[in-house]
Amino acid sequence: MKEFDLIIVGAGAAGLRAAITAVRKNLRVAVISKVHPLRSQSVVASGGLNAVVENRNGKNGETAGDRDSIQTHMKDTLDCGYGFSDIPALETLVRRAPSVIKDLERWGCLFTMESNGSYALRRMGASSFPRTFFAADKTGLALMHTLFEQCIRLRQNKDVQLRFFEEWLVLKLLVLNNTVYGVIAMDIISGNIELLSAKSVIWASGGFGRIYGRSSNATINSGWGLAVPYYAGLPLKDMEFVQFHPTQLSGSHILISEAARSEGALLLNRKGERFLSSYDDTKEAMELSPRDRISRNIRREILAGRAVDASCVHLDLRHIGAKKIQERLPGIRNLCKTFAGLDPLRYPIPVTPGQHYMIGGIDTNERAETAVKGFYAAGECANTGVHGANRMGGNSLLEALVFGEIAAESAASYIRKKHIKTPGNTYYINVFTEEKKRIENLLKQKGNVSIADIREKLQRTMDEKAGIYRDGMGLVEASRTLWELNNMYKADLKLDGRETRVNYSLINAIELKGSLDIADAVIQAALKRNESIGVHFRNDFPNFGGRPRHSLLSLWKGKIRIRFVPVNTNEVPGIKGLWSRL
Amino acid sequence: MVTFMKDTVNISVFRFDPLSDKEARFDNYTIPARGLRTVMDALMYVRDHKDGTLAFRSSCRQGRCGSCAVHFNGRYGLACEMPLSEGKNQVRPLAQLPVIKDLVVDMERFWEKYEAVKPYLVRSSNDAVLSLRKRLEMDKLFDCILCGACFSACLMTGKNPDFHGPAAYAILNRFLLDDRDALREQRLALVKGENGVFRCHQMFNCNEACPKKIYPSENILEIIKIID
Repeated sequence: MKEFDLIIVGAGAAGLRAAITAVRKNLRVAVISKVHPLRSQSVVASGGLNAVVENRNGKNGETAGDRDSIQTHMKDTLDCGYGFSDIPALETLVRRAPSVIKDLERWGCLFTMESNGSYALRRMGASSFPRTFFAADKTGLALMHTLFEQCIRLRQNKDVQLRFFEEWLVLKLLVLNNTVYGVIAMDIISGNIELLSAKSVIWASGGFGRIYGRSSNATINSGWGLAVPYYAGLPLKDMEFVQFHPTQLSGSHILISEAARSEGALLLNRKGERFLSSYDDTKEAMELSPRDRISRNIRREILAGRAVDASCVHLDLRHIGAKKIQERLPGIRNLCKTFAGLDPLRYPIPVTPGQHYMIGGIDTNERAETAVKGFYAAGECANTGVHGANRMGGNSLLEALVFGEIAAESAASYIRKKHIKTPGNTYYINVFTEEKKRIENLLKQKGNVSIADIREKLQRTMDEKAGIYRDGMGLVEASRTLWELNNMYKADLKLDGRETRVNYSLINAIELKGSLDIADAVIQAALKRNESIGVHFRNDFPNFGGRPRHSLLSLWKGKIRIRFVPVNTNEVPGIKGLWSRL
Repeated sequence: MVTFMKDTVNISVFRFDPLSDKEARFDNYTIPARGLRTVMDALMYVRDHKDGTLAFRSSCRQGRCGSCAVHFNGRYGLACEMPLSEGKNQVRPLAQLPVIKDLVVDMERFWEKYEAVKPYLVRSSNDAVLSLRKRLEMDKLFDCILCGACFSACLMTGKNPDFHGPAAYAILNRFLLDDRDALREQRLALVKGENGVFRCHQMFNCNEACPKKIYPSENILEIIKIID
């Protein structure tokens, strides 16, 4: 058994940010990730991060003048999320945003600059002002390198205890008497299974977009990362809120960042019309409208037969010009050349909406605390409530960094304050033996249905029945399909390889169970919310019920329980009563 | 987009498990061409439908995360970016690094060399400012995704275990270009020894291997110029 003060699961933006703060607070830290940190989905994030900062020239970006404020940042986020944001968490997010930018700058993050040497800002969809800091269209890459570099710097200091467990898959979260005690994890390379105990655990496993087929997410985002705490009893909040990004490359569903529209790209239908103008909810802000509305209207356009090539529309960058594209959108140009075989300087890009971001996740508050003592969550796997019912572009990297840091602060004060009693060796031996047994049994599976077959059926079901438009009937059907797939998994799964060492068949089999159960959570929550709001559109209940409430879903003795709780609207000075007019 | 004339594609994949196999072999698979485009698509298909134990790394599938660098049909690159060919398709793991299984190599030495050049900013002062000119000079360098392709293509990394390799030097140059950095002299001292930058023979294999067109050897030349 290895012992630590703090275990961080996941090494994307939230996990690495948490690690930096934690070691600075002199904690002995283990970071567990199933891939090397720089292979995390965070490196793909493109657009940027929102912050209202006075830059070194003493004022905000050129067009913003001095009119932007943290209140406006808050109001934009709240409006974009249809008033479903938890105010204390949202206020924490926007107030901490400037310090996030300062930290990143201090650590050397290469943000894009204006010709006068100040940081450039772009205006993302639903924002009133340009307030998004960015590094071309590769912000995630720049920022992840910066965070990882600082981790290396800390680790090279002999006094620092920061250990990375790269390519380790967490199998089980240890929770007893509502208190966290560590994890059981498997080294994917050696196949060894070990128990790692800790006084506190921060969960930063990222999103789970790969329960969908049409998704911009990395293949690693299977859902297993969220399934582990879900099995341990952690309540999941707003699982039905799945964000679909309007512009993904047709076919491969590789993301064409909102940065493109932010720099002036236009959405066109088959006739070359800017069709967003013919829909009430997008005719004002057009290409910079909130994502949910654009995605829905692209679907409508496709259903009305005005699509290009049956299922996509065009994103036109040609008028932006070679210079600006090379300067600000070079990644998008490369992606189009490599993955669609076209140069956006000369041709419009065929795009279609697809799953992009999971708003739902582990229920946390503004201190990153969860229902379990000593257990914190941050980043996409968490739902702090900041995004409400629709996430605004530029807020997710920000959320990962703000709440990654806060999670580490909360964990540090929990470890310092509480006298934490360990549960005794018998407990550890029992859970460890039980988990090892489970993996051994899985390895014995000699059925007929391949992992890929189940995964493909699951993804198709989610694409078709739990997409941009859903209805009760379809969701019930999806639920039944998932139940069948679960039975197939249990009774008839085909697994290759009989050992734990570098066995991707085993890894995929373990993760597939998580995909199935997390997908079911999304479906059950979507079925329960009999209204349409933000990203959740029910054809059979097209209107909003009138009261912003979160859904809370948890496992209780193997059964799913769902209840609704009101959104936390504790008033904040400056935007008093804002949500009530919705 | 590639459209295949035939209904099937043949792919030959390097297979080796050092713990159980006496020698490495190539396994050949014939797979349906429909929907396939890249080497990664084919590898995924093999793992999903032919042999679940085939070991390879993958994550973002869009050339951003650097997980899937391999040797394919005679050149290095990212499996997720390289298109399959109509004829021969041969996939091998990165060279110069020990094979763990099949296409998965032990990247430890690569990371160790990267970390050795102190790849992080240590500010000379709190209000040191990055100039726009330097920022633009670094623009290309932050594209490096540390995939390891250049390290494998380099003839020196195999011969000399102390040589840092092209990626580490490209990253080093990124920090040398940064006018906020305080470690300049230390960094230069690290790499001017007999196993440092001067060991580079300017074969340009790294330039050819780099999927992000960083041109590591040009960075090495720039470092040499500073030291000289």
